[in-house]
Parts: sequence; structure tokens; C-alpha cells
Amino acid sequence: MTEIELLSWARGTGLQIATVIFVAGVVIRIFEILMLGRKANLAEAKGAEMSSGLRTVFSRTFPDRGTFKRSSVTIISGYVFHIGLFVICFFSAPHILFLRDIIGFGWPSLPTPVIDAFAVVTIIALLATLVNRLTNKVMRYLTNFEDLLTWFLVFLPVVTGYIAFHRIGMTAPTLLAVHILSVELLLVIFPFTKLMHAFTLFIARWYNGAISGYRGVAS
Amino acid sequence: MNEISNDTDFRDALESLDDVQQRQIAVLFVQHVLPMSEDIRLERALKTAADANATQEELAGALKSAHAATFDSHARCGAEGHWADQAGYFVARAAVAATTPAAHARAGGPAWQAAMSARMAYTSMLIEDTSNQSAHSECEWQYQALSDYLNV
Amino acid sequence: MSASIEKGINAFKRQIDSTVAAFFSSCVHCGICAEACLFYTETGDPKRTPINKTEPLRRIWKSEFTLMGRVGKMLGLSKKVDDEFLQEWQELVYDSCTMCGRCSMVCPVGNDIALMIRKTREGMAAAGQAPEGLIGATNRSVTIGSPMGVKWPALRAQIKHVEEDSGLKVPVDVEDVEYMLLLSSMEIMNFPEFIEAVAKIFARAGVTWTISSEAFEATNSGIQIGVSDIAAVLVQRIVDVADKLRVKTVISPECGHAYTAIRWDGPNLVGKAFNFKVRHILEVLDDLRKDGRLKMASKETRKLTYHDPCQIARRGGVIAEPRNLINMISDNFVEMPDAGKMNWCCGAGGGVSANERADELRLKVFERKKAQLDAVKPDAIVSACSNCRIHLEDGLEEYNMDIPLLSLTETLAEHLAED
Repeated sequence: MTEIELLSWARGTGLQIATVIFVAGVVIRIFEILMLGRKANLAEAKGAEMSSGLRTVFSRTFPDRGTFKRSSVTIISGYVFHIGLFVICFFSAPHILFLRDIIGFGWPSLPTPVIDAFAVVTIIALLATLVNRLTNKVMRYLTNFEDLLTWFLVFLPVVTGYIAFHRIGMTAPTLLAVHILSVELLLVIFPFTKLMHAFTLFIARWYNGAISGYRGVAS
Repeated sequence: MNEISNDTDFRDALESLDDVQQRQIAVLFVQHVLPMSEDIRLERALKTAADANATQEELAGALKSAHAATFDSHARCGAEGHWADQAGYFVARAAVAATTPAAHARAGGPAWQAAMSARMAYTSMLIEDTSNQSAHSECEWQYQALSDYLNV
Repeated sequence: MSASIEKGINAFKRQIDSTVAAFFSSCVHCGICAEACLFYTETGDPKRTPINKTEPLRRIWKSEFTLMGRVGKMLGLSKKVDDEFLQEWQELVYDSCTMCGRCSMVCPVGNDIALMIRKTREGMAAAGQAPEGLIGATNRSVTIGSPMGVKWPALRAQIKHVEEDSGLKVPVDVEDVEYMLLLSSMEIMNFPEFIEAVAKIFARAGVTWTISSEAFEATNSGIQIGVSDIAAVLVQRIVDVADKLRVKTVISPECGHAYTAIRWDGPNLVGKAFNFKVRHILEVLDDLRKDGRLKMASKETRKLTYHDPCQIARRGGVIAEPRNLINMISDNFVEMPDAGKMNWCCGAGGGVSANERADELRLKVFERKKAQLDAVKPDAIVSACSNCRIHLEDGLEEYNMDIPLLSLTETLAEHLAED
């Protein structure tokens, strides 16, 4: 297969397969959760569930001071790479073009040096999270194969995207194909892993806030 | 001095005593129920408390002993409770009251607190041993003990 | 209560609902929950990480309630849940957790880990993996009516003692009153002056109330051991009597888990909303304060601080009330660091203090509370849970700290105005 064929496949069939698996997987995982339902609470309520739930969905983003002091490396490195990923995914020119083809409209991109800076910082932050995961006593105990796999699946697109954009090493089509394939790999494995938290955390935080808010405590 | 026959007079009379006197009468109350406790530390603690010349350090030491005795004898949450052992707990609490400096005592003063805990110890024994239909009333014994102490 | 691994697994399964599924799906192994848990912070042992305690439940969720997990099970890839595994986890689920809920407040993805541990106990207990002390307490609760074996005659004797000492009446089995007071065995045995304090306050405030001779026990061992069926039986006793006496409100006394059991879990355990309200004694006292029916004659001069019992504050919602009440009797009240809904657990609730095997651990983790106290250096500590009280005293004694523990209700009674 020539490199152009590889790239065509990655952009075409490969992307379709990956997207189908991703969407189906995410839907199934969410359905699996919601279909279990939960029993209605018969105790006399002290607060409203819906609003408390929504509040926690938002407020849980901000750690309390004590928690921040005790887990600052985990929190900072985590936020940096999440924000970095967000900026790179949605504000780099090639990505906006890619999305415009799918959804019909685009938006202004950030200048390349800015995206580059975010990419470098994101890569450093991801490396920091890996080191943290392997050296922090608690994380080391909790860490399993899936944690390392998902780290790798997230790391790969960032690195391959940076390399592809700057045409380092191999030829442009191959680099691009590798990058796209790395994203497809991520998409395909995503629903089977903790990466689902990207969707389910909204449900979990809502439940947390609802349960606690029912008792009159803002969580 | 009139005979003390109710708690209002009893408490007033106790509160009118000075610190050393309160300690001494408190010790009397505790010693009366001491047989209900198996903790040997309490006897020594009470001896110190009864001594009018006891120093602050000696009293602090006695208080510590009495405190330790309460922890070793209280009913643990969820464990099977034995009222006979609880009596020992209340005796220890009475000893704590007797060795607590007046400034830190709970409402009513050390002697009143010791009297209450001593009564609690007696009640605990009664709960355990329902067959004992004794006509003895601990509080009446305490009234008499205080009257005798004041008349001396 | 015959136990088996099959019963255990079925019990785990019954506990899984959409909340549990959402929580397990979201955990990213960040470890932040460990830093909120005193059983980890004071021992440094990573297996005490809160989410790790739920591993038995997680394995069942994965292999029975997820498509990928079920496929994995068919391929022989799922992690097993057997007696050996549960035995290993017993110490984590029971000795190393009070279900205080601090972990639930900090998890970035929103997991209510304390709830997950409560659910995990259901499977553990059904599989016969609950600690000795708790099994005994639960049996006594069911057969005698109290986890500590306190029977009505004993309470009646304590009541008689209280009436003689105080000259007040403690109404028993009276119908159509506003309040029915429950009592924990701990209070009846160790702090009977609580009964006197309530009698005094209610008499001055003109409150109609009663204690029931048929159902006076507030402690719910079923909640602690994690057997909902038993917890339901214990709640039903209270419901039956409250309905019979037609009381308006049932009062939960100064005990943490008792409040959770009757106020928040109760109706869900028995499957029916209550015909009466449930309030913690502090809520009732605060209502009296708001109505101007609580008049104080004096104040505490000592420097006071307040220990929030976890089940009452963070898991119960009673946070402002104790502070309103303390401010009535103190101009020298200082909050400890992290006071309020993020206060640190005393380390003894949820069955830990009933478990002798956990004694050493319980005293070790007290160091967290000690650190808070060292920052404030109070003259006295006020709290509203008898178990917290005894354990804090134990801990203070262990570390040679001479700070008295005060019950909030008893302290209010001491400073109450004579009308």
C-alpha cells in the first residue's frame, strides 16, 4: 500500500469505522448506566435534587483548598493537559478545517506558535502525569494496564500531530496517516476504558450533587 | 444545722463548701460506691483527693488515673453492655469529679457531680441485679453523709 | 443470618443501580480520594484509598452489568470474587472506613464513594465477611432491641434516676405529643445525663414529648454492618410505635449514624414515606431557639470549638444549627480548620468502634483530629454524637491532651434560664 493509499484509507474508511465504533460504544456504555435506574427517595427532602445536581456538575471542577494543597501535582498536571487537548483539538487550523467538513461551519483558529506552545506544554504535562502515576504511592497502587494504555492512547495523537504538522522525520502523507490512525485507535478503544469519564462524569457529578443536595448539603 | 432531706438543700450545701471541703465530701461519696469498681487506681486517686495538703501535681496525677479508669470501663459502642461493669464506669466518673479542680468542674461543683455519678453507679447495679429489692436509697445515704460532715 | 459467597454475590448485584454504574465508569484512578481519607493520611497505606475499598463491588458491576465485562467473563477474563478475596478486603471495608463521606466531597469526577462502600458492605455481610463485633451488635439489636443489650427495664431505671435527681418528669408512652425521643444505647449506658438535659429543656420550652418503652433504640446496627433487611426491621419498630402514638416528629439523639438511618435511609428501607417528620435533636433545639423558647441564663467562658459528627453534618445537613446554638452560650467559640461540611471524621463511626480488631487503627487515625485541635487549642470541645465523644476522649487520653468533651445538648441545659 502506498502512503497515499494509507492516508486515504485512514481519512475515509478507517475514520468511518472508528467513528461508528466510538459512537456505538459510547451510547451503549451510557445506556448501560442509565437503564439500571435508581429508586425514588422516600425520605423528606431538605433540598432540590435537580439544581443541586447541576451545581455539583459545575462546582466539582474546582477543588477545595485542602484537596488542592495535598494533590497539587495531580490536579495541575491533569488540568494543564485537559485544557491543552481542548485548545489543540478545537483551535488548531487543520482541526477546524477537518471539523468544518463534517459539521458545515468553522471558527477562527489560534496562530501556529500558540498551538505549538500548547502542544509542547500538553506533552510535558502528560509526561508529568505519567511520572506522577508511577511515583505517587497511591496512584502506583491503583494503576493497572488500562491506566497505562489510555495514557498512551491520549499521548500518541498529541505527539504524532505535532510531528505531522511540522513534518519531522517521515514524509508528510505518512506522518498525517499515522496521526489520523492514532486518533482512530483512541476512538476505537475509548468506550471500553475509563476515558468514558469524559461523558459519564456529568452523570456521576449530577448524582453526587443530587444525593447530597437532597440532604441539604452542597457537594 | 438542719437535716438535709432534698436535692435543692443538698446541692446548695455542697456549693457553699470551699474547694478542699468539696473534695473531701466528694471522696466520701465515691468511697461509698467504690466496691462496685474493680479498678485499683481509684483508691489511690481518692486518697490523694482526700488529702487537704495535696499539691496541684498530685491532684493532676490522680485526675489522670481516674480518667484512664473511665476509658477502660465504659461500654463500647455496639459491644454487649454489662450493667455491673457500667457501675464501675460511673464510680470512675465520680472519682474524676472528685479530683477535678473546682474551676473546671461541671455545673454544681465537684462534690455534686461526684454525688450524681455515685448514684448512677448504684442505679447501674440495681439494673443488673433486679432481684435485690433493697430499700436503700443512695441519695438518702448521701444526705446523711453530708449532714454528718457539716456537723463535725 | 446464614451466609455464603453466592448470597454475597447476589447482594452485591442488588446494590448496583445507575449511580454505582456511573461512578465506576468515571473513576480515573487519580488517587485524590486518598488524600481526603484519614485512614490513608494517617497511615500512609495506599490500600486504604477509598475507591480501592469498593473493589468487590466493582468486580461484580464490571462482570455482570457491562457488555464488555460480560464478554470478558465468558472468556474467563474477569477478576474473581471469592471468599479469599472478600476476606482480604474485610479490613478495608469495615476497619478502615467510617463512611464519613469526605472522599465523596473531593472526587473530581463526582463519585459518592462513601455510598459505594455502604453498598459494598451489603455484599460483604451476606457473604459472612462482617467483623465479629458488628455481628454480635446486630444480633442483639434484632433479638433484644439494642446493640448493647439495653432493655426497657434498664432504661426505665435510668429514667427513674433522672426524675429523682432533677424533679422533672420523663413522659413514657404518651400519645398525640409533638415529639418522640429516641436514645442510643451509648447514651443510655454512658451518658444518661443527656436524658435529663432534654427533659429540662423541653420542660422549660413547654414541649410535649415522650419516650416509647417499645421502641427507644436509635442506633441502627443494620446500617453499620450493611444488611438492609435488618436495618429495615429496626426502623419499622420505630415507625410502628410512632404511628401508634401518633407523634408528629421523631427525634434522633446525639448519635451520628442513628440520624442517617432514620432520617435519610429509614423510609427507603421500609419502602414507604413516614407519616411523621424526623429531626435531629439539634434541629429541634434550633427551632426552639428561633421561636424564642430557649432562654439562656449564663454562658460558657471557656474557649470552645465544635467537632462536626460526619453523619450529622456532611451526610446529614445539620451544620448551621449547632453553631447557632453554641453562639447562644459562648462568645469564645473558635472553629477548627476545615470546620463544617469538610470536617475530619473522629475515626470511630460506622461500626469501627464496635470492632475491637480496629482499636489500634482507630487511635492512630485520631492524629488527624489532634492536628485540627492543635491548631485551635480549645479549652473544651463540643459535639453532638456520643460515639464521637467517647472516641475523642479516648484519643485525647492516648495523646495526653487534657481537653474536656461536652455534649451540646447537655451544655445548653446547664446554662438554661430558670423561668
